[in-house]
Amino acid sequence: MSTPVDAEQAWQDLQRIRVPQERVYDEYERAASGSRGMTYGTAALMWLFLAGVGLDLPLWGLLLSVGAYAGLLGALIVWSGRRNRMQLHRSRFTGRTLLAFAAGGVLVGGTVVLASRLTEPLEPIYAGLIQATAAVAVYLLSLGPANRWAIDSVRGSGEPTEEADR
Amino acid sequence: MSTPAGFDELIHPSTRLSVVALLAATEWADFAFIRDSLSLSDSALSKQLHTLQEAEYLEIQKEGGGRNRRTKVRLTDRGRTAFEGHVAALRAIVDSAGPATGAARKQPRAEAGR
Repeated sequence: MSTPVDAEQAWQDLQRIRVPQERVYDEYERAASGSRGMTYGTAALMWLFLAGVGLDLPLWGLLLSVGAYAGLLGALIVWSGRRNRMQLHRSRFTGRTLLAFAAGGVLVGGTVVLASRLTEPLEPIYAGLIQATAAVAVYLLSLGPANRWAIDSVRGSGEPTEEADR
Repeated sequence: MSTPAGFDELIHPSTRLSVVALLAATEWADFAFIRDSLSLSDSALSKQLHTLQEAEYLEIQKEGGGRNRRTKVRLTDRGRTAFEGHVAALRAIVDSAGPATGAARKQPRAEAGR
């Protein structure tokens, strides 16, 4: 036997669906922007890697640095993932999420290139330290706004909510 | 009143609808996260999860041991399809009522059914 549902009840059910999904987005936002360990951990690793690369290492030293950086970054991501209470479904990610990630990479990469040009006359050790510090500063400053911009799109920003209609 | 195709009696009760709606937005979610988000007791949530698991709408996976033990809940493809069908059926009911109810005019954003 089927349950008779009128339009008003169906409308309320559709609204009810949104409440738990907002909790998911809240948690995603909290995990993305609230984990200081992850933020400062990745920033510290990036600083060490860039400062190390700036020392004009031989090829084997460079490869070792890249390997160590990738391994430690991977371990940090796994550690952070284990602490998460949920994982957002892949269908919820938008083009803006990917764009924010790519823009962050371009911004940090661009800072490294620009800083290396500007610090060319300096000793490699000082140039490396300045490049690493500038890149990490840009990373930390852009992370918050980029996260918020990406998360707004996950929530479907710009579309009217029921509350806004009232 | 006829019920549109896709309307799912198992998902229809409000608590189960909330559980499935939450899981539809996730790859997986912790038992504790679902419980806290929906303000349910452990036993009430366990009961709903058991019912949905029996219908193969979700999978429950236990990891770790002792204090680190955690229970991950994941919506199956079958559960996701059922949820999407149910949302489509609810929309059809709202649409069939027309703008006179005022409800059809204020369709919730498409993400509710994703």
